[in-house]
Amino acid sequence: MTITWEDGLVSSYRGEQLRWACPCAECRGELGAPGRLSRLSSLPEDELRVQDVTLVGQYALQIRFDSGHATGIYTFPYLRSLGRER
Amino acid sequence: MPSPTNQEVLDALAQINDPDLGRDVVSLGMIKELAVDQQGRVSFTFELTTPACPVRDRFKSQAQDLVGAIPGVTGVDVRMTANVRPAFMRPKPSEILPGVKQTIAVASGKGGVGKSTVAVNLAAALRKAGAEVGLLDADIYGPSVPAMTNSRVTPEQVNGRLRPVEAHGLKVMSFGQIYPGDQPTIYRGPMVGKAIEAMMVQVDWGRLDYLVIDLPPGTGDASLTLAQAVPLTGVAIVCTPQDVATDIAIKALQMFRKLNVTPLGLIENMSWYVCPSCGHRHEIFSHGGAEAAAQRLGVPFLGAIPLEESIREDADRGTPVVISRPESAGAKAFVEIASQVAARTSIQSFRQLPVINVR
Repeated sequence: MTITWEDGLVSSYRGEQLRWACPCAECRGELGAPGRLSRLSSLPEDELRVQDVTLVGQYALQIRFDSGHATGIYTFPYLRSLGRER
Repeated sequence: MPSPTNQEVLDALAQINDPDLGRDVVSLGMIKELAVDQQGRVSFTFELTTPACPVRDRFKSQAQDLVGAIPGVTGVDVRMTANVRPAFMRPKPSEILPGVKQTIAVASGKGGVGKSTVAVNLAAALRKAGAEVGLLDADIYGPSVPAMTNSRVTPEQVNGRLRPVEAHGLKVMSFGQIYPGDQPTIYRGPMVGKAIEAMMVQVDWGRLDYLVIDLPPGTGDASLTLAQAVPLTGVAIVCTPQDVATDIAIKALQMFRKLNVTPLGLIENMSWYVCPSCGHRHEIFSHGGAEAAAQRLGVPFLGAIPLEESIREDADRGTPVVISRPESAGAKAFVEIASQVAARTSIQSFRQLPVINVR
C-alpha cells in the first residue's frame, strides 16, 4: 500500500508491517493487559495480506486483511509515523 | 485600434487575487466563456466558488475596471455565476452522500448556546444567496429544527427512501419529523450513531451545494459517527461569550481537529443586547470571548450575533430571521457569517486528502 500525502511525500507499506502495527484493542491490549500480538512471534500468511482499505471520515483508514481481521483504525498521523520515505 | 487577444484579457484578470484561496482567479479556473468580438467588446463568465461569496461585488468591479483599461476594449460584459466545488478534489463522490458537494457541521461543546438557531439561519442565508441547501438535524434527543423551520411534517417515502421536507427552500430532515409530538427518543449511544447514518443513507438528498448539519452538544456518539461516516468539509463552532461556554467550545473544536475535520471558525452568539426601552447596549454574557478564543487557537472568528427578541420569536414561529426580517441586525449578522463560512468552505475544495493505493 502506498499513501501520497497532502504535502507530496509518498510512504509505502507492506501488509506484514501494517498487520503487526494494528492499533486495535485485541492486538494491542487494553487497560494495561497485553494484547494478542505481544503473545505471538509469527502470523499465518492470510493475516498479513491487505484485502481492502476504507477511509474513515477523513482522519484514518480501516484496513481489512485476508483473514477478515479489520478492527484496526489507523489514523493518518500514525500511518505517517509508520511509513518510510521512498 | 485592433481588439485585444483572449490572452491579454486573461493577463489583466490574473491581477485579481482571491483573498481566501490565495491565488489569482484565472489560475483558479474562475474565468469561463471568454469572448472578444471585432468591435472590442469583451464578455466572460466569472464563476465563483460559492454564491455567498463575500467579495462578489468587489470582484465584479475589479474585473470591469481591469479589462476596461486594456487598449482597444470598447465594452465589458461580466456575468457573475457560482458553482460550488466538491470538497477535497475527490475523484469520485462520497458513497454515503453522493449528490452533496459540501457538508458543514454546526457544533458547540455546551448546550443552549443557540446552535440550532445558527444552523437554521446559516442554511437559510446560503439558500438566499442562491445555493441548493439541505439541513440535517442530527440532534436525536432534542430535535429543534422542525419547529424552527415550520417543517413538522412526516417525510414521504419514495422507493423505500425518505424524501426530506421542503421548508423555506431548504431540504429539511430531522428525527422530530419521524417521531413528532411529545414522544421522546430513548436511545442508547450506538443507536444514535445508527439513526444519524440512516438520515444520510436512507434519505434522498438529491443534488446539494451545501448540507448543513446541526449537531447535538458534546463530543460523543453523534459527532463521532458523523466524522467517521462522511468526509466533513468543516465544522463551525458556536458559543456564547462567557468563559464556561468558550472553555467547552474549545474542547469540541479540539475533538474535530483530532478527527482531521477542519474548524471553519468560531461564532459568538448572544453577543450583546440592545434594550428596546433605553437603547443601551448590554453585554449580558460578556463580550468578545469567542474572538479571543479563536485567536488563541489560531482559527478564524466568523462573527458575532446579537441577542434579539425577534430571532427567538421568529424561530418559535418557524421562520428563520434572515427570511422574516432581513433588515434586522441579527439577520445581517447571520448573512455575514454565512458568507464567511462559505468562503472558508471553498478553501477546502482545493485541499487534497491523502491518496491511498493498494496493490
